[in-house]
Amino acid sequence: MSALHPFSLLAIAAALPAFAWILPAPTGGLATAGLALMLPLVPDPRWGVRVVRLALLTAAPFWLFLRLLHDGPTTVAIGGRITTMVASFVWLVAVLSPDRLVEAMVARGWSLAVAYVFAATLSAVPVLKARARRIVEAQRCRGLSPRGSVANRLRALRALALPLVLSALHEVDERTLALETRGLGAGVPRTPLAAPPDRPAERVARWALLLLCLAALIWRLA
Amino acid sequence: MRILALEEVTFWYPATATPALESVSLEVGSGEVVALVGRGGAGASTLLLIAAGLAPRVTGGRLAGSVTRGARAGIVLPTPWTQLSGMAFTVWDEVAFGPANLGWPEHEITRHVDRALERLEITPLASRDPVTLSGGELQRVIVAGILAMDPDLVLLDEPTAELDPEGARAVWRLVRSLAGEGKAVILATSDVDALPGVADRIIWLDQGSVRALGEPSLLAEDAMCEAGLGTTVAGLWRAAGLGAPYPLTVVDAAQRWR
Repeated sequence: MSALHPFSLLAIAAALPAFAWILPAPTGGLATAGLALMLPLVPDPRWGVRVVRLALLTAAPFWLFLRLLHDGPTTVAIGGRITTMVASFVWLVAVLSPDRLVEAMVARGWSLAVAYVFAATLSAVPVLKARARRIVEAQRCRGLSPRGSVANRLRALRALALPLVLSALHEVDERTLALETRGLGAGVPRTPLAAPPDRPAERVARWALLLLCLAALIWRLA
Repeated sequence: MRILALEEVTFWYPATATPALESVSLEVGSGEVVALVGRGGAGASTLLLIAAGLAPRVTGGRLAGSVTRGARAGIVLPTPWTQLSGMAFTVWDEVAFGPANLGWPEHEITRHVDRALERLEITPLASRDPVTLSGGELQRVIVAGILAMDPDLVLLDEPTAELDPEGARAVWRLVRSLAGEGKAVILATSDVDALPGVADRIIWLDQGSVRALGEPSLLAEDAMCEAGLGTTVAGLWRAAGLGAPYPLTVVDAAQRWR
């Protein structure tokens, strides 16, 4: 799956939520959520299970809040759509490598800075995850336990969140300087080092997805 | 050939009333190695950012005075992990990130990247994922990434902070070799013991101002030793109550004993 052109992966990840919101609820949302959750299982079920688990864990709080605010049918209708969005994004982050996306965008003539913003958004999740792990380890060394009672966990969460946010903000400054000195704002077209191949069949499939979305929209509005 | 000239430069970071750098004038020519020494907050990093053209353009703030840069500059910042592009899954691609951004043809990129990897002695790491490297290895990758862009002015902020002694020696050898090729190098370091063999000129910065400048023998002067910025040998000589002038290096000390 990760061998697909980055634009194809983006198209799939964008089309599923679009269908989820266009098609009638709850069937449309649940069907697209099912599809989005099945996507990671296609290439490698063992790897896919981890991605699906992460997607479900991320979507669970949304279901909880929806249930507190709405009745059952509304919860299912909106929950299916939100799950589609979450699962599509989690799958995209898992399969799309930021460097391939940058190369693909640059090869298509996009500005490097714009491409970088897209790619940095995708790579932010694993980076923050790794940093959070380091902070948890550091806090453990100082006697804070992230396990045990709810009060304990909440205390640990505060001790994790604050340094996580502050260090991320601090790093932005340095990263900006580093990227600038490495020519991100050079104002010349970047040389694509290994532009991913874009097969005609994939291009056709992307257009087909777009047309399908438009057709579904017209059908719903008609 | 003059590569950089700062004339009466004063710089304020955003929302600060006290300048981080005050009335600093400096000229650096090709083939010259200038070392900035001083305590934390003395303004060495700020001076490097100004020389790189990043302050105030990227950092914000206000600059008074004039800066003339006659060549492309490349800066290595002190924390290697924040300088990773985040766009590369191999060391080779990480080093190629800068040259590719300059729009060079592929064969030029390959030539410069391979040479930079070789110079930093990290060719065996070329296919490794940068996030799996140690701090020292990463530091060398970042330096290689800047050198691959072939800057005429190389700015190094604590380039040996993450390195073991052998790695640090390799970097100092590299600095001299860059100067030998006609590049200008300005570096900020707390590894003052290495400077007598590396730097042509020393600039002592104190609270944003130039307190003294001169040849590396400056590192053996009483005022610098008193400020804790002299070489270890000079500091020991002074602490032992032996008379000035203090020796700069172990070799100097040995000669004095004889």
